Order: sequence, then structure tokens, then C-alpha cells
Amino acid sequence: MFTIQKKYEKKTKIALNQTCYCMRLGKLRQEQFPRDERFEMSKIALGNESLVGSLTPSNKKSYKLTNRIQEGKIPLYSVVFNSIDARFFNCFVSAGGNGINLYNCLEDGGISSLHSYTDEDKEESFYTVSWACGVEGNPFVAAGGVKGIIRVLNVNDKIIHKTLVGHGDSVNEIKTHHMKPQLVLSTSKDESVRLWNVETGICILIFAGTAGHRYEVVSVDFHPHDEHRFVSCGMDTTIKIWSMKEFWTYVDKSFTWKDDPSKFPTKFVQFPVFTTSVHTNYVDCNRWFGDFILSKSVENEILLWEPQLIDNSPGEGTSDVLLRYPIPNCNLWFIKFSCDLSLNYLSIGNQKGKIYVWDLKSCPPVLVTVLSHSLSKSVIRQTAMSTNGNTIIAASEDGTIWRWDAVTK
Amino acid sequence: MASGASPSSSATRSDPHKHSTTSQAEKRAPASKEVSAVIDSLKKKLAADRCISIKRRIDENKKNVRGITQSTMRSCMERGGGSYKDGSDLLVKRQRDSPGMKSGVNASDADKSNNHSSFLEDGNASSTTMVQGSSVPVKISLRPIKMPDVKRLSPYTTWVFLDRNQRMTEDQSVVGRRRIYYDQTGGEALICSDSEEEAIDEEDEKRAFLEPEDFIIRMTLDQLGLSDSVLEELANFLSRSSSEIKDLTTEDMNTEHLIQARYEVLMKEKEVSESGDNQAESSLLNKDMDGALDSFDNLFCRRCLVFDCRLHGCSQDLIFPAEKPAPWTPPVDENLTCGANCYKTLLKSNRIPANGTTEDKTGTSSDGAGTKTTSKFSGKLNRKKTKTFPSESASSNEKCTPETSDSENGVQQDTNPEKVSSSSKVKASGRRGGRKRNNNRVAERVSRRTQKRQKKSEASDTDSIATGSRSASDAKHKDNEDATSSSQKHVKSGSSKNSRKNDTPVDDSKNSVKGDDPFSQSNAVASEPCSDGSLRKEEFVGENVCPGGLSEDKSWRPLEKSLFQKGVEIFGMNSCMIARNLLCGLKSCWEVFQYMTCSENKASFFGGDALNPDGSSKFDINGNMTNNQVRRRSRFLRRRGKVRRLKYTWKSAAYHSIRKRSTDKKDQPCRQFNPCNCKTACGKECTCLLNGTCCEKYCGCPKSCKNRFRGCHCAKSQCRSRQCPCFAADRECDPDVCRNCWVIGGDGTLGVPSQRGDNYECRNMKLLLKQQQRFVLDAYRKGDKLKFANHSPEPNCYAKVIMVAGDHRVGIFAKERILAGEELFYDYRYEPDRAPAWARKPEASGSKKDENVTPSVGRPKKVA
Repeated sequence: MFTIQKKYEKKTKIALNQTCYCMRLGKLRQEQFPRDERFEMSKIALGNESLVGSLTPSNKKSYKLTNRIQEGKIPLYSVVFNSIDARFFNCFVSAGGNGINLYNCLEDGGISSLHSYTDEDKEESFYTVSWACGVEGNPFVAAGGVKGIIRVLNVNDKIIHKTLVGHGDSVNEIKTHHMKPQLVLSTSKDESVRLWNVETGICILIFAGTAGHRYEVVSVDFHPHDEHRFVSCGMDTTIKIWSMKEFWTYVDKSFTWKDDPSKFPTKFVQFPVFTTSVHTNYVDCNRWFGDFILSKSVENEILLWEPQLIDNSPGEGTSDVLLRYPIPNCNLWFIKFSCDLSLNYLSIGNQKGKIYVWDLKSCPPVLVTVLSHSLSKSVIRQTAMSTNGNTIIAASEDGTIWRWDAVTK
Repeated sequence: MASGASPSSSATRSDPHKHSTTSQAEKRAPASKEVSAVIDSLKKKLAADRCISIKRRIDENKKNVRGITQSTMRSCMERGGGSYKDGSDLLVKRQRDSPGMKSGVNASDADKSNNHSSFLEDGNASSTTMVQGSSVPVKISLRPIKMPDVKRLSPYTTWVFLDRNQRMTEDQSVVGRRRIYYDQTGGEALICSDSEEEAIDEEDEKRAFLEPEDFIIRMTLDQLGLSDSVLEELANFLSRSSSEIKDLTTEDMNTEHLIQARYEVLMKEKEVSESGDNQAESSLLNKDMDGALDSFDNLFCRRCLVFDCRLHGCSQDLIFPAEKPAPWTPPVDENLTCGANCYKTLLKSNRIPANGTTEDKTGTSSDGAGTKTTSKFSGKLNRKKTKTFPSESASSNEKCTPETSDSENGVQQDTNPEKVSSSSKVKASGRRGGRKRNNNRVAERVSRRTQKRQKKSEASDTDSIATGSRSASDAKHKDNEDATSSSQKHVKSGSSKNSRKNDTPVDDSKNSVKGDDPFSQSNAVASEPCSDGSLRKEEFVGENVCPGGLSEDKSWRPLEKSLFQKGVEIFGMNSCMIARNLLCGLKSCWEVFQYMTCSENKASFFGGDALNPDGSSKFDINGNMTNNQVRRRSRFLRRRGKVRRLKYTWKSAAYHSIRKRSTDKKDQPCRQFNPCNCKTACGKECTCLLNGTCCEKYCGCPKSCKNRFRGCHCAKSQCRSRQCPCFAADRECDPDVCRNCWVIGGDGTLGVPSQRGDNYECRNMKLLLKQQQRFVLDAYRKGDKLKFANHSPEPNCYAKVIMVAGDHRVGIFAKERILAGEELFYDYRYEPDRAPAWARKPEASGSKKDENVTPSVGRPKKVA
């Protein structure tokens, strides 16, 4: 292989991509559609308009800053609440640099530190982290980053449970199956999505190939009730829905596999059941909302759209964009939103350090509130909403963690 | 799609034409303001509908979501409650024990209070409350747990082995080429597109556009009537050309309004038009060959001789060489037969009993005698196979009634495949009579015909009978193929009807009904629309001239016919070859032969004989064909356009560089070759000449063209120095052009392999390889195994661009003797400042390096 090996720090990578992209697409876009016009319906096919939320906050719910922690100077890329195990609903985990930290949110607004893990390799930079669960109900944390190695930590016993090696490049996101929390999906720069069994450390399926992604896969999300389905999106601007139905036997097999994990008959899934490009730029976060999909590109807005699959003709179908949630100053890539467990609210940070909270139940979209602080100036890469939606944790690139709590009126 | 809008639109669908008629009567031209107001209101209505539909769907989804989230919540709770055991739940314990960190909640309230004003921002949420917290956040002081270092894999992109990733193993085979899928239902070749998204997108747009637009158009016209100003306004609104809208609307109207009229027109057309078009409907075999040739033309690469070549893309311009090769004729061996049904064997078997009745005679004769011989001929045949011969021959001199029975006998027995008689037309009509379609007309026709026939048969007595018997025998043959009792019944009913209506003379038409029916069933669509007039003509022609051929003409499906035509082009008049190579399984050699002689007859007949008043032009196959071709052509031009578009999306990147290069005048050796289609020797307007390339063997120009590359005259394996013109021009020797160097007979040990032993051809490979500092190949997605060969400042191979059959390819050649198992390196030709550290030479000192790095191409690199 003779690809030029440049070691990108995530930051430089983002900067690079961003500038490139601005030159290539972003600027062009803005020239074509001046800002105001973009939110009008003129450019969208007649009768296919979507409803756009207004940016005046309703203040239906308000949050106050209750805590701020400096974890270090290293940018934080990921922060996630546990939404798998009711015991740990107050726990969240953050990842950035070569460290993974577990925290507990206290009732009084405090944050207690539970565990801290550090990779010995200073070059590691974790981009993503996710909670998972062993078959015995042990809480696991799976984290991946620039090295493409996924660490599965048994945070109950403070040991490394498994180290999953296989991705050819950095891991961009890890998500856990809702019903079988032993299964995690990881997306990578190597253009593949992989399904792992964290209990046994087996790579069950690889989603890549003929009709797979053509550039870094950035985000993925399991379907909330169809256990075979998930959605992935990436820098090739496409969003793909995949089905594992035909391969589910391998998933079952992975639980009983006694042999060496590397001998497992890993299968390639090359054809998604649905492909669309609702965005025209990198798509860096997507999430199911019932049967609809929330997805975010670097175009300062989140879209809620409905994938309309055509039966018996996989790969085809249409997408209908229903709602648009504008987010100002949010055109960097790798900014991710999060929702509470009952999908009432959505929160997302932007590159100015503000957090936008949207009400997902209302139509047309209603902005709940904007959280801002004079000291919060750097990019907020990811927010985490607690299961009940009353706490928002924001991980900032300057290494700080912000806790916002809902004000009970 | 605005589901709210669509029902209403469908409801109003029936209205417009009514309205348009009234409005046109009024000739009212509404002002543009009015129009735009209407359009606006409609637009609003659409938007409102859309809004409602969105809301409805969101609500539905909300319910859905609630159920889902509740169930996940429940499962979370279960998980939490299930394993709460003492001691083992360390994390829970830790949760309880860990000290809380609060930035400022305890400490900062007092001393940091002066910070508050600056600390707090105008954020609406936090502005109301006094937020605790300090500008100095709490630091974590927790001993981290170490994770031991794990070595990372070297970066790679997930690579799934696909056939099409493989390039080198079977360079000329189909493996690795883009797949063509044959759509079972449509019977059409489809290309598996590389970029699924694009295709889908287009479809999306189309669909999304049409419905609401339709709605608006319809509604507006409904309210304002059809007039130019309205159309204009609409066009403005929809930013489309007004003619399009007109089309759209008129189409709408037409479908509603003119359906019946059109239907009638269509019916008429059907009657008038010749068979081809109508026959194309049902089965694959009824499609005619132009359709098939269309995909062939588009997908077959004439340079690589494979379908769907990846290099040149599909849908190249068709270049027809000026010198057409003569039809290929294999050495004719009289005794060699192609199979059981070979015409030679059958002829022989005929000839002996027929006492020298040659097929030529049958063919050319256009008078009574001729037909007589044919009849004899068939009679002899029949005798050979069936026992009915005596009775038949006996009856052959009479006219009517006795003959029916015996020919029916013939039908029941297994006879030779024979020419279907002219009366196949009669039978067709007879069948129709049976079906009670155009009953009266048929009756009329039949009666008329029979009258004529009577006269005729009086004149030349044996004629009709002979044909009758022959058709019968043919019918038998067909029956074997798909003997269905129903068809026979059907036939009988038809014939009986016929015989009832027109008494005796119809007998032979009855026979012919039998003959025709099986295949007329198989392609009922085909035979049905045949016009009465043509049928009649056919009949006469058949009766008078060449009875067998014409009916044969009918039984041959259009595809078979056109295959036959092509076969004649390729093989000449060699029915064995045609039957074996083109009509395998469809027609036997004997049938082909008959058809061939027959069509020949016709040609000669129509050429020389003007006796028949109306028969000639209609029944010439060629006439038929040309008629079709004109129509077809336009259709596939359209389609070709589409394919071409596909091609460019597919690999526009690769073409781009080439195009760029070809515009660059200085870069002579790397011009992209495109075959010219000069019909005579290339003049100044030859595209090759203008483009600065040589004419290649793919060009249309004759071989004597001066612009052609002549090839070399080197001795075998001497093409290694610049003395060889091929070598000098960076061309691979071509056995079609060069004299000696390539074509080697005898021992294969020293042949092509030895010359190519060190030459791995890497077609269409994109390497990071600077060739003459002009362009860069990037092998990110494409390329063969050799793309993995590494760079070395001291390589043992070198890359060279050579012209291979009109294409530039990168060949990797050995620079020195390479032992088996040695790693291959070549020079990527990094620019000195861009080269990664590992690619630099150890003793990286400027001038020396340049000399060392670039010996292979022989042109010193420009020092950057």
C-alpha cells in the first residue's frame, strides 16, 4: 500500500476537511442560496416542502448550569449517558484523547468521578464511546478512536474485557443494540460498519462493499424496535439502511462461539436495503425517531425525514423530508446530537459553544431553549441527555464538561 | 408526496377536459394577475395540505415512539433490577462512595460572586438564575486505570473481494467486467450501475415533481380555462417551457377526450400496419432483432470484443468499416451434413424419388409447371413418411371433397417438415371466422377468394390441391411441437364454419387452418393484426408463385427472420451455418434452406414479374424490414442517449484527465484514440487526423489509409529497440498490423509469453505515477494486483505508457533480471518535495538523485 500516510490529529483533520469543503461545496452552496432563501420552500419540489422550526425559543423548559469540570486540555469528542441499565441512568462516560472517564451525576448538581481509564499509547485519541452490557448484566463501556481499536471495558470490575481489532482506520462511532446490548456497531474511516459481539469479542458482520459507503462512515443507529435494522451515514453524503435479517443466525452463533474469535465466519453485507442522500454534504449524525430518521449534515440543520422503502426492491425507495431543525453555527463536521430516552427533546451543541434544545414532539418544530455561557466558546462536539431529559451534559473541545439541569418551575 | 393533495387531484382528474371545451368556446383570456393569484392560492392549498399530512404522520409516529420508548425503558429497568447482588455490583458501590465534585457550589458562592456578571451570559435559560460555579473548574484527581498498548493495524480501507476488482487474471475474459443483468420480465439487458444513488435520485425527482405539478396545472386550467396566457404563467411558475405544459395538458385531455377516437385510429392502424410493430408485444421471440441489436450495439465493445467493456464504456459510435468482409464461407463439402435435418440429406432423399427435381426448379418456377413440380416433390416426400400418399396423389388431380379427407389424414400422421402452403392466409381468416371476429368480413373475403380460386384452379388444376396437401403436412409437423387438443378443436370449428359458409372450394382452406393454427396460437398477436388486404394478396402471390415460401414467411417470427437476414450477411447462403449458429433450437437447417430459397424466389419473382397487381411490394421481406427499421431507429437513438449518460457518470473522472491531456497540444504521445468513421481514405476532415492520432484498425477507413500506423517488419522478438517503429512509437506490436514479429506458428515455447513475460499489463490503472510529469494515476479504487507494488527509489521495474490496440496502457517492465520471489518495485515518481520520508532516497542529494531516479523513461525530470 502506498497511500500517503499522514498522521492527522482529529483537529487538523477537521480543519482541513472543513476548509476544503468550504471551498468545494460550502461556499458554493451559500452563493447559490443566500441564507434567507435557503429556509424557504422554493427550492424544494412542489408539494414536498418540509416544515422549518423557528429559532425563537419557547422557553417551555429551561436549564441552568450546575457544574463544570475540566478533564484536561485534550478535546473531548464524546459523552454518553447510560441508557441501558436503570441502575446507572445517572452515569455518563466521556472520551477524548487517550482517556475514558466515568462519572456519576449527583442529585444536587454535583458530579462524582467513578473510574478513569487511560490508554498507554499516547497516540490514541478516542472519538466515541458507548455503554454496553455483558450477558450477565455487567456494565460495559466500548470506546474507539483514531487507532481503530475498540476497547471493551468491564467497568464493574475495572478490567479490560476485550480488545476488538479489525478496523483499518479510525473508529468514528459506536452504538449499542437496544434489545441485545451485547451487540455494538462501529463505524470507521475504512468505509465499513462492523457488528461486534462485545461479550465474546467476535466481529459478526461487516457492512461494506459493492453498495456500501464510499467514504468514511461517521454515524450509525440501531432501529428502536426492528432488531435487524440500522441506519448508517457518512461522508459520502448518503444515508443507508441495512438489514441483518438474513444474517441473524450468525448473530446467534456469536453468542455460543467457543473457538477463537478470529475463526468466526465473519460475513460481508454488501447491499443496504435503502440508500438516499437527503443531504448534500457530509452526514455526521443520524438517529431513528420511530420509523423516521433524524439526521444532521454540516448544513446548519437537522432533518427529520421518512424513508419510504419499496417492498421487494431493496436499495430503492424515496425519502421525504418532513421537518427541519435549524442550528446556527453548526457547519463543522463531527458535531453530534443526542436525545433523551423517551425522545421528547433533542440537544446539540454548536461551534460557538451554545447548546440548542429542540422539542421533538411538536410540529412544526419548536426550539425549547438555547444554553449559552460566556466561558463556553469552543466547539461542543457532543451532548448527552439523561434518560428523563432533565440533565444535559456537554463535552467541549477545550476539555471541559458542562452540566445543565432543568429548572423545575 | 403530499398525500393530502393526491386524493383531491385524483378526484379532479376527470374534470379538465369538460372545462377546457367550455373555456375554449368562450375564448376568454384571463389576465396574468388573475392567473398568478389562482396559482398562488393553489400553492397555498398544496402547502397547507402538505402541512396537514406532515402533522398527521408525525402524530402517528409519535404514538409509535411512545410505545417503543416505554418498552425500552421497561427493559432497562429489568436489567437494572435483575442482577442487584451484594458485593458483586462494584460500580453501584462506587457510585455511592465516590465523592462529589462541584465546581463552586460549595466554595465559590461567596468569593467568586463578583465573577457572576461576567460569568453569566445573556443565554435566556441561565440569565434568570444565579448559577453557581466558578471560572476555575474542578480538576479530576483520580488514578487512572492503564490500558496496555495494543498495536494498531496499518491503515486500510475495507476491501471486499469482488469479481470486478480482479483485473489481471483474465484480462480479456468477462470476469471482472461490469455485470449486465438480463431483466427476465422485460427481456432487456440492464447495466448494474456503479452509483445506485444517482439513479434513484433521478427517479425521485421525477416522481416528486409530477403529481403536485399536475395538480396545479389541472386546477388552474379548471378554473381559468386553457389559453396561452395561462399556460405561460404556469410555465413561469413551474419554470418549465410552456410547450411542455401544453403537451402535458393536451395529453391529459387527449387521454380523456379522445380515447375512443384514438382507439379507433389505433385499430385502423393495426389493420393497416405491417406485422412487425404489433408482433413485438408478447414473447421474447416476437421481439424483432433490432431491439436485440440495439443492446448489442450499445454494449458490445468493438475494440475489446467483450460486452460492456470498462475501458471504452458502452455506446460507442458505430463505425462501419469501408471494406466489408465478404461473407464467410467454409469449405463446402457436399457430403458433409450438419445434422439429421440438414437440407442436404433431405434434398438427397427427395431427389432420388423425385427423379431429378431440383430445388432450383421449385424455386424459380412461377408458372403452373413449377408448382406442379413442387407438389410432386411434396407428394414424394409424403410417400416416404406417410401412407396417405397414394390417396393423396390420387386426389391431386381432382378438386374438392375427396381431398379434404386425405389431407386431414396427412395431418394426423407424422410427416416431414414441409413448406406451409400459400393458403396459410386462408386459414388465418378461417380461424378468425371461428373466433367470430370480423366474421362478416372474413366470410366476404373468403367467398371472394374462393371464387377467384375456383377460376384459378380451373385454369391450373393441380395447384390448390397440392398446396393443400402440403400445408397439411406442415401442420402435422407443427402439431408435434405443441400439440394441443384445444387448438385442433379450435381449428375444426373454424374450418367447419368456413365450409358451411362457402361450400366445397374452401376445403383446402380448411386444411390450411390446421396448418396454421398451432403457431398462430403461439403468436396470436402476431397474426391477428395482419390486414385483410395483405392477406389476400399474400394468398394470391402464394398460389401463383411460391406457395411454400410465403406461408413460411408467416410461420417465421420476426426475430427469426431478422436472425436469418443477419445470418445471410455473415455466412452467405449457407443454411447449415445459419441454422446452427443463429437459429439453433428455433429452426432446422431444412427450414432455413426452404426459407432461403423461397425468399430468393420472391426476390426474383418480384423483380421480373409484374403480373401480380398488388402483391409485390407488400410481401417482400426486405420491404417489411426497412419499414420497421426506420421506426426502430428513432427509438433506440433515444435509448442510446440514456446509456451514454450512464457511462459518463460512471467514470467521468478517468475521462477527464484524458480529455485534458488531449487538449494539451504538446503532449503528442498520449492522445486518446477515437476511431474515425471515414468511408473512403482519410482526408483532412478525418477525426483521427484532427485529433493527432493514427488511424487504427477500428477506424472505418480502408486499410490503404495513409494515416494508419503501418506496423513493423521486425523479425520475431526483435522489437526491442527504437529501430522498430512500433517500439519507437510506444506501441505494442499488433498481429493485425505487424508482419512477422508476432505471429508465430509451431512451437509455443518461444512465443508470446516470452515477450510478455515481464510485462504486466495494468489496464485502466490509476497509480500515483507521474508519467512525463503530465498526469497522475491514482489506483485508489481500480487497478489490479500490481497496484500494490511498492515504490522504491531504486526500482527493478519501470513503467511505460504504451499504446495497445488504440488505448494507452501502463506496462510495468523489468529493468533488470528479476528472480522468482523477488519483490517488484517501481518508481512512483514523487515530486521531490512531496515524497513521503520513506520514499526518499537514503542519500538524498539533489542532482544525483534525479539522474538515478529517471533512467527508465529517459527524460530527465525537471527539478522542482
